[in-house]
Amino acid sequence: MTDDAPRSRGVHRFRRAIQTAFLLLFFGLLTLTVWPLGSVALGVFLGADPLIALNSAVNGVWMWPGLVAIGMLALPLVAGRAFCGYACPTGTIIETMTPSRGPGRLSRVARSRLRAVPPFVLIASAGLLLFASGAYLFFDPLATLTRTATTLLYPLVDRLLRLGGNIGYLAAPLRPGVDAVTGALTGRLIFTRPLVYGLQLGVLGMFAAMLGASWLEPRMWCRDLCPLGALLGLVGRWAIVGRVVDRDACIACGKCRKVCPMDAVPDDFLSTDTTRCQACYACADVCPEDAIGCGARPRGWTYSPTRRGILAAGGVAALAGFFSFSGIGRQEKAPQLVRPPGGRVEDELLALCTRCGQCMKVCPTNVIQPAVSAGLEGVFTPQMDYRVGSCEWSCNECGKVCPTGAIRTLTLDAKRRTVIGRAYLDRNRCIPWADYRTCLVCQELCPVPEKAIVINTADVTTPAGATVRLGRPEVVVDRCIGCGVCANACPVAYRPAIEVYGVHPKA
Amino acid sequence: MERREFCRLLGICGLAACTGGLSGCARALQWSDTRHADTVTREFGAAPPSIGTTASAGATSPPAAQASPDIAVATGDDPAANTRLAVEILGGMGGFVRKGAHVVIKPNIVIAREPQYGVTTNPAAVAAVVKMCWDAGAASVTVFDRPTAPTLQAYAVSGIKKAVQDAGGTMKVLADRDFERISIPKGRILTSWPVLTDIFDADVMINMPCAKTHGEAGLTLSMKNLWGVMGGDRGLLHQDLMQKIVDANSLIKPQLVILDAFRLLFRNGPTGGGLQDVKPGRTCIAGTNQVSVDAYGTSLFDMQPTDLAYVKLAADQGLGIADLAKLRIEKRSV
Repeated sequence: MTDDAPRSRGVHRFRRAIQTAFLLLFFGLLTLTVWPLGSVALGVFLGADPLIALNSAVNGVWMWPGLVAIGMLALPLVAGRAFCGYACPTGTIIETMTPSRGPGRLSRVARSRLRAVPPFVLIASAGLLLFASGAYLFFDPLATLTRTATTLLYPLVDRLLRLGGNIGYLAAPLRPGVDAVTGALTGRLIFTRPLVYGLQLGVLGMFAAMLGASWLEPRMWCRDLCPLGALLGLVGRWAIVGRVVDRDACIACGKCRKVCPMDAVPDDFLSTDTTRCQACYACADVCPEDAIGCGARPRGWTYSPTRRGILAAGGVAALAGFFSFSGIGRQEKAPQLVRPPGGRVEDELLALCTRCGQCMKVCPTNVIQPAVSAGLEGVFTPQMDYRVGSCEWSCNECGKVCPTGAIRTLTLDAKRRTVIGRAYLDRNRCIPWADYRTCLVCQELCPVPEKAIVINTADVTTPAGATVRLGRPEVVVDRCIGCGVCANACPVAYRPAIEVYGVHPKA
Repeated sequence: MERREFCRLLGICGLAACTGGLSGCARALQWSDTRHADTVTREFGAAPPSIGTTASAGATSPPAAQASPDIAVATGDDPAANTRLAVEILGGMGGFVRKGAHVVIKPNIVIAREPQYGVTTNPAAVAAVVKMCWDAGAASVTVFDRPTAPTLQAYAVSGIKKAVQDAGGTMKVLADRDFERISIPKGRILTSWPVLTDIFDADVMINMPCAKTHGEAGLTLSMKNLWGVMGGDRGLLHQDLMQKIVDANSLIKPQLVILDAFRLLFRNGPTGGGLQDVKPGRTCIAGTNQVSVDAYGTSLFDMQPTDLAYVKLAADQGLGIADLAKLRIEKRSV
């Protein structure tokens, strides 16, 4: 028997395959998150994310993927952070992009300091959680990946396919083929209009930082920074099954420590940092003495925050909570802030929204955009931007895919009656009012059956003294639902002459 | 070491140059940027010779012994049967679609609404036309529109996608590359505009509007239906609308015009949305000249051809006959 061939037994042999399967499943479901397939099942990764499910539960929202979340939260008791090592698509990407394994290039002191970070992250998150702010979910790995793919990957694929189609079209014989392929992909990977999203640079920066941190310390995001990993690690403290080392067989060669992708093996090689171990058993595979296995009562070696650390984290949590409580970071009365139909009141929405961007992914008109006018706490929550699109009358997908119910599921009928904003006509810019020329695009396209815009025809005198008969649009306030079709279609240059503002309850 | 540095620098510079070049290519391929594109001259319907001999309402009268009427009107309770009868009165689809012809059909799918709201062309009627084209030996039948709503929704909710695909036709989702800035030699205001090239490439174009009111234009019938093959900024196209409709019609002359009036949206057009605005029309009108078809179409709404400014303008410009007394109209019921 040769010792250099790694011994592999058990499920962990298939870790790569399982990771790939979950990655493909994640992107498969996300690719399907398009009209007309909207369903919360498509967001099952997010709904089953214990961090998100916990946040939802605390805020009084329960959805069926929460059952999976409970299972996942219990899993670290027997299998460590297996989620991180086997299922997490973000972890898979980070692991693939990580230059090397093992402890990394930080000094021992720096690394031991980093061990204090996960509890810190957890306590600070708890501060936000208790004060009803979901802002920390911005750092949830699954929400982050969904957001990155939605705002960067899918628009990129869309454009590449378009470009490919355009190039193919240069050769006339290829055109039927191009049409067939384009037709099949339209609505899945190619969209009627090229997708655009705001805040792309920020999203790219964050994802690049997550990947780039691996250069400093392999999988630094997963080990030290990820809030979901920290939560799973917290449960891992009480692991009843895990990595056990045969003390007598161990020759303290240190191979296990070197190979561990999560840096979960301390200097004695015998114990395990159960807040980190992802049950990949790479250590068992390299152990020359076959001394490592999976067993009951693993010898734990976990970082316990110092009193000072807890105080500092508590201070940060209190500050974060106060930040949320005081509303400094909120801009709920921003006039441009229109939430998608079904969107909860601002407080609840900010508490529940995972900032994942699933609603933006599914929106067929691209009108749902990452919020910039909702304040610091509301960054990347959904906001309607009527310069980009408008709320489609025949669609209620965003509420169906929201993994937390921050946007409630409305029936089409209810959605069509939900007032999300109100159109204001600017008579100083509207073509018939200001230029004395005919135009009634807004009225024509108003999807409300009895039309929230009416045309009143009258003989009017132009500034030049001529009298013309002109139909001029006016908004019927009680009928307007704020879908923004008018604002999106208004031909007035640079800024539409009819704009939709949010309807916020008066303080 | 120095050489390695040099190679690395060369590599980076090369990469940067390639990126620049690639983005340049991408720009060159941006057909959508029609503002800066050169205007192309395309003649409409130059290809099929069969059309002139069957039914022409234009200046040259057909030499054929038994001339088909200018306007065929079919009434009945089945939209598909109405459509078949109307085309039959004109001499059958074979007169328009020859064996191996590539046919494009342009229904009105302006937004995503179910058929009963009467804002989109009746799906059964579209399917009937697709079938007739196949029966006449068409090589391909493609159906498209450029809805203001997201295209896929509009295609699906209107029921047209399913009807067309069941009948073996293709629903095409239009892309920017399908439009080219085409000159309109007889245009008075609209002298060039990005227009869908598929209608020029095809052998036969069938314009298949539905009859409904229109806030600005009065009624939207076949002439206004051409707005769905125009690219560019829709809002701009709606200023000085009447003359622009006429200008577009001076260029684009579909070989067959089938006006679906199975339901009439008599109020709140063109996007409607309330069933109280819809009344039964039970009619299908077919013809070969859009001006004449629209002139007859006004009678569905108890209007005169002269009530529609664009019909009047077009008739004055000699694009077709709008005087119903001068048209040969044949009415039959199923």
